[in-house]
Amino acid sequence: MNKYFLAKEKLPRLFELIMADSCLVAPRQISGHRYLFAPVLQAEEVALDYTNSHLPPKNYLFPQTQAMFLFQQGEGELRISPAGAASRTVLWGIRPCDLQAINALDPVFFGDYPDPLYRQKRENTLLVGQACDRPAAQCFCSTFGYGPDSSAGADIMLYPCTGGFLIAAFSPRGEEALASWQPLLLPVRPEQEQEVGQTLAVASQAVKKLDLNGVKEWLDKNFQSPYWTELARRCLGCGICTYSCPTCHCFDIFDYSRKQEEGVRYRGWDSCMFADFTLMAGGHNPRPDRAARLRNRFMHKLKYHLDRYNLAGCTGCGRCVRLCPVNIDIREIISDLKEVATRE
Amino acid sequence: MSNCHCGAPLLPALATIKEIVEETPDVKTFRMVFNDPAVQESFRQKPGQVAQISVFGVGEATISITSSPTKRGFLEFSIKKVGRLTGVLHELEPGCQVGIRGPYGNHFPYEQMRGKDLLFIGGGIGLAPLRSLIDYVLAPENRSQYGRVDIIYGARSAADLCFKHDLFHNWPQQPDTRVFTTIDRAQEDWTGHVGFVPAYLEELAPSPANKVAVTCGPPVMIKFVLAGLLKLGFTPEQVVTTLEMKMKCGIGKCGRCNIGSKFVCLDGPVFTLAQLQELPPEF
Repeated sequence: MNKYFLAKEKLPRLFELIMADSCLVAPRQISGHRYLFAPVLQAEEVALDYTNSHLPPKNYLFPQTQAMFLFQQGEGELRISPAGAASRTVLWGIRPCDLQAINALDPVFFGDYPDPLYRQKRENTLLVGQACDRPAAQCFCSTFGYGPDSSAGADIMLYPCTGGFLIAAFSPRGEEALASWQPLLLPVRPEQEQEVGQTLAVASQAVKKLDLNGVKEWLDKNFQSPYWTELARRCLGCGICTYSCPTCHCFDIFDYSRKQEEGVRYRGWDSCMFADFTLMAGGHNPRPDRAARLRNRFMHKLKYHLDRYNLAGCTGCGRCVRLCPVNIDIREIISDLKEVATRE
Repeated sequence: MSNCHCGAPLLPALATIKEIVEETPDVKTFRMVFNDPAVQESFRQKPGQVAQISVFGVGEATISITSSPTKRGFLEFSIKKVGRLTGVLHELEPGCQVGIRGPYGNHFPYEQMRGKDLLFIGGGIGLAPLRSLIDYVLAPENRSQYGRVDIIYGARSAADLCFKHDLFHNWPQQPDTRVFTTIDRAQEDWTGHVGFVPAYLEELAPSPANKVAVTCGPPVMIKFVLAGLLKLGFTPEQVVTTLEMKMKCGIGKCGRCNIGSKFVCLDGPVFTLAQLQELPPEF
């Protein structure tokens, strides 16, 4: 694999090059330590150094609300037309946990019935990852078998070093892009390679790695446990954990009619933490209380996704830990379950 | 613009309501035909599969296909008025257009049921998915491949019995076929059996020998029927049910119909009791 050096002062030129034919979406500083992925209008808006974004870039592949198709009824005849096509996008600066989350979403949205909306976006999006040189206190990605330097899922990776980034392609699409950026790149010097190696080794050491031994086995056997009821006493059912999660993919489908004869069907994020998520017409609800709903979420993260796709449903990004208003902490849950599992 | 749903599983194909039969005060059977004959021809469901019915401007709901695949050229859906979408559907008239996506989900294991006696146990609108299999099995071209067919069916009142024409005319006239109907509470013009379905099942006490039991109904009925069948000596492998869970997308993306690691829309809606016993008790 060929690595190059991308100097900081070349970045504005590169961003303009990208913006000439694609939508550039990159982390932008919103306030203080808060960064969000957002479309870039001017090169200097891109945050080159940030710990992790407040919310994951998931919404650029699976938008919070998304038109599925339009319908029109005139002269007695009903017509439906698919929603607009996805534009070319470069997602810049994605941290390994969020790349890993895209790896976990892919088998959901592809599979036996590929989701046309996700596929369009996915195929039109170049994923540029950015290795973590300063993981946050809540980061625990190593728990799931990868780390701050992981490139899995990236078309291109950026490795922070003095004066810029080392940059490398990891897919044919990435190689193609890198080739077109070639005039802006320089050969890598050995001391730069060394510096990056050292930075990433330190970063990898800094990430907390939790021991998952026995957790899945315990979950396999303990669907009904007082532990979930205990935990649910604190939960407000606000759903921030699911909205901020890079792998949560639940949605609802709605119709909106502008006029009697035309409208749009769209989908919008939903959350298994909400009481009406499984409420059926007629009143039956298979998950009638908060304990059942909370259990579903943690089962999904630590067991169901793994059972179904052979990939953990959690990537250790730490957002649900940071944002939960009552400090429900998946790291604590993992160690609690681990303790129960060892005790038994 | 194409209405073909191949490759675009979230786009419904347009269909027209051709006929509406009022089954009970709150159940109607809608006969629907795709506007595009090629879509109609390529839509090949199996007994027990479901489809998503769209009322544009209102939304979608998962509905089991009640007509047998042996009847070609149309699809029938028997729909109880229980929520917003079904409420609007009940206001529609022949000639109105709807959308259909599907068929989705697995199907009744009709191949493995060959050579066996069949016992159907339905409650209320739960007879709708069973009817696709009953009519499949009773179709002249398939009848000889199955043994005796017994149908136990109950509803709240005589007026609430779905498919009265099938129950009292079509099915009992078929060879080796018996229909046992019951209603929850006695009423003046009813001379048949009175009592809940699980109790009637115990009373009839069918033998489990070389038999498969297929059941669907309200969750509480299914629960007691499953227990009753085990008591009668049926093994969990001999008992098949079809579940209603809040399916939305129908293709395993929206995440609302999971029972443990299974999605009802992909891995179900049909499960044997043996499979259900492997799943968390959350349905």
